[in-house]
Amino acid sequence: MPRLKLVSMTVALCLGVAAAITVTAARKPASPLAELPSGKVQLQSAGPLAFGPDGILFVGDSVGGAIVAIDTQDHTSASAKPVNVQGVDEKIAALVGVTPDQIVINDVKVNPISKNVYLSASRGRGPDAMPLIVRVDASGKITPLPLDNARHQSISLVDAPDSNPTARQNPRMQTITGMNYVDGNVIVAGLSNEEWASALRSIPYPFKEASQGATLQIWHSSHGRFETAAPVRTFVPYTISGQQYILAAYTCTPLVKIPVSDLKPGAKVKGVEIADLGMGNQPLDMVPYKKDGHDYILIANSSFGVLKLKADNLASYPAIDSPTITNVAGVPFDTLSDIKDVRMLAQFDDSNALIVTGKPGAGPAYAPGPPVGPINLQTIALP
Amino acid sequence: MRPDLRSDQSTCRRLRCLNQNQSKPSFIEKHLLKLRLAGVAVILFLGMAAAAQTISIQFEGGAFKVAGWRAPAAAPAQGWSSVFVVYAGAGDVPALLGSYAVEGGVLVFHPSYPIAPGVRYRAVFHLPGGGAPLEKTFDGPHRDTIPLARVEHVYPSTDVLPSNQLRLYIYFSAPMSRGEAAQHIHMLDENGKDLQGTHGVFLPGEELWDPNFQRLTMTFDPGRIKRGLTSNETIGPPIAEGKRYTLVIDRQWPDARGVPMVEGFRKVFRGGPALRTPPDPGQWRITAPQAGTSGALLVDFPTPMNYPLLQRMLQVSGGSGAVAGTVAVALHETEWRFTPRQPWKAGDYQLVVDTAIEDLAGNHVGQPFDVDVFAKVTEHITTKTVSLPFTIR
Repeated sequence: MPRLKLVSMTVALCLGVAAAITVTAARKPASPLAELPSGKVQLQSAGPLAFGPDGILFVGDSVGGAIVAIDTQDHTSASAKPVNVQGVDEKIAALVGVTPDQIVINDVKVNPISKNVYLSASRGRGPDAMPLIVRVDASGKITPLPLDNARHQSISLVDAPDSNPTARQNPRMQTITGMNYVDGNVIVAGLSNEEWASALRSIPYPFKEASQGATLQIWHSSHGRFETAAPVRTFVPYTISGQQYILAAYTCTPLVKIPVSDLKPGAKVKGVEIADLGMGNQPLDMVPYKKDGHDYILIANSSFGVLKLKADNLASYPAIDSPTITNVAGVPFDTLSDIKDVRMLAQFDDSNALIVTGKPGAGPAYAPGPPVGPINLQTIALP
Repeated sequence: MRPDLRSDQSTCRRLRCLNQNQSKPSFIEKHLLKLRLAGVAVILFLGMAAAAQTISIQFEGGAFKVAGWRAPAAAPAQGWSSVFVVYAGAGDVPALLGSYAVEGGVLVFHPSYPIAPGVRYRAVFHLPGGGAPLEKTFDGPHRDTIPLARVEHVYPSTDVLPSNQLRLYIYFSAPMSRGEAAQHIHMLDENGKDLQGTHGVFLPGEELWDPNFQRLTMTFDPGRIKRGLTSNETIGPPIAEGKRYTLVIDRQWPDARGVPMVEGFRKVFRGGPALRTPPDPGQWRITAPQAGTSGALLVDFPTPMNYPLLQRMLQVSGGSGAVAGTVAVALHETEWRFTPRQPWKAGDYQLVVDTAIEDLAGNHVGQPFDVDVFAKVTEHITTKTVSLPFTIR
C-alpha cells in the first residue's frame, strides 16, 4: 500500500492555473423546471454530463459550443438497485443501427433522484457523428432520451472570432472536458484546439443571455518557481470544513482545491495544490464519499488505475509548492489494483459508484485511446 | 441516398396452395361441378385474394415494409412492435429505434437513423393468429474502400522545433475518425525508436479536432516542458536540442468512412534551443505597400508563430475601422501577409495584435509559457490587444 507522506516542499505544479473564469453571483432557482421551454433539442454533440436539481441534465456540446439543460422527466425517487450491463456499447449500437465500433461513449452520470444511468455517446467517429443520450434503468433496459420535444434551455459558449471566416466552419473549438452543477452555477472546464490558455466558466442557472459577467483569473497560491496557464481535466464539488470548494485535477495530475466563494467577478482566486498523482498519467473522473466516518475521493486514471485518496482533514494539508523528484506527493492515497480497466467513474449513491470498463485501446500505456469493446457498465461498492 | 440493401436467400413463404384430385364426372355431375367450381372460384377469388398472396418483408426507400399483408389502421394493443420488429445486432440486443406507420394498408417501419454499412438487419414479422414468424435479413450498404485522405500539412512547418515546442497542428485532406491518434502518431528518435513509450511525448486525453475533423491539435506533454517539474527534470523535455526526430503518421489511420489513408506521412526535424522570450510586437517588421495598390502588407517576425492563431489574432485597422482582406502565412510562419479587398488608401493604419497570440512554445505577448516567480504574475500585460502603427503612402 503506497501510503505517501506529505512533502512540504514537493512537487511543483505540473500545470499551473491561469484559467479565465466568468462568473456572476450564484443564485438558487426557485423553480428551474418552470423556466424551461419545450421544443427540439439542437445538439451537435453530446459530451460531459452533469445533473442539476429536479432531474435536469446538463449536456456539454463541444461541437455546438453550448451547454444544454434538459428536463429528463425522470423525477420519481427510487431506491438504488445494482446495475450490470455487459456490452453496453453493443446494445446502444443495435439501438441506433451501427456496428459497435462506431459507438463512442463520452460520459456517464447517475440521476440522483431516480438512480437511472445516463450515457452520452456518439453514433459515428467522424464529423457527421450523431449525438446520443440514453437512459439505462436498473433492469438494464436502454432507452433514448427523447429530444424532439423536450423542455430544455441552452447557452452558447462561443466567444472567440472565427479563425477563418471564409471556412465552412470555424476551426476553433473549445472541447468541454468537465462540467458540474455547484450551488446554482454550472461550472465548465474546457480545452481549446488553438490557444493554450484554458477557459473555466461558472454560468448561473437558469441560463440568462447576459450571464457572461466579468472575467477573473485563478492562480495557485503555491506553484513553485514556474507557472503556466493550464486547463482543468476534471473536477468535483467538495465541501471542506463547511466551505464549498471545487477539487480540480489537471492534465498531468496535480489536484487543486479552489474555494467556490472566491469565484466572484474581478477577484483573483487562489487555488491550492494538495496532491500530485504522478507523471505519465491523466485523471479521468473523481467521486468523493464518506465511509466509516472518514472522507475519501475515488479517482479513475488513464495509467494509474483507480486511486482511493484519503481526504480527512483536507483543509489541514499544506500546499505543495516546489519541485521534487518523487513521483507522487501530498494527500495520501491507495491504488486499488483489483478494480481494472475503468474508463469512467460516477457517483451512484452514498455506498456505490458506477464504473464503465473496457480493455485499453491500442495506443501506448499512458494514452491507450478509446477502450476496446465490449464496454461494460456496473455498480461497485465504494471501497 | 438509397442504401444498397442486399437480401439473403428468400425466406418468404406461400401461405396457401391448391392441389385437388378429380375423378371423371357424369353430365349432371359435370354441370353441378361447374356450378360448384364457379362458386368455389368466386369464394377463392374473394376470400383468398389477400391470403393467397405472398407475404414478404421488403426494404424500400429507407424503410422496412410488410408487403402482402393488409395491416389494420389501428395498432394492436401491444403496439406494432408486437407484430413487426427490426434488429440491428446479434444476441440480446434491443430493437432498432424507429417509428411505425400504415401506408396504403402496408405496415412500414421507418428507422430513426440512416441504414449503415457493415450492419446486418433482421426484420421479424409475427403472423396475426400465430404461427412461425416470418424473418428476412438485409445487409447494409457496402463500405467505401477507396482511400482518399492524406496528411496535407503539419505546422510548425519548419524543420527545427524548439525544445519547448508546445503544439502540432496536423491538417488532413478529408475528415478523419476520432479516437485513433494515440495509436497512429509516433515520434521516432535518431535510431528509429518510438518515443511514445511509457512516458509519452504527447499529452494524453481528448483529441482536439476542428469541427470538420480535418485538423488535429496535438500537445506535447507540458509536464515535460515546464521547468522544475518532476517530468521535466527526470525524463527531460519531449524534444532535446540538437537531436533529430521523425514524426510518423500511419497510413492505417481510418478516415471518417473507416478507410485507411492514401499514404502515411513523415516529417523529419531537429531539436533547437528553447524559446523562453515572449513575442514582442515591437520587434516585428512591418512593410507597407503603396497607396492605390492591392499589394500585401507584410509583417515579419524574428521567430515562427503559431499558425492557426495567425489566422485570427492580427487585424488591420484604418480610419474607418477594420480593413477587410485575406490573410496568408509564409516563410515557415515568420511572415504574415495581408491583402486588402479594396486598394489601399493613403493614411495611417494600425496592426492590432491580440496579446494571446503565441509563438511555437506557447509564449504569448507579455508572458512566457512558464512564468518565472509567482510575484511577477501581477506584472503581466493585462490588455487584450496592442497596436502597431504604420502609414500607407
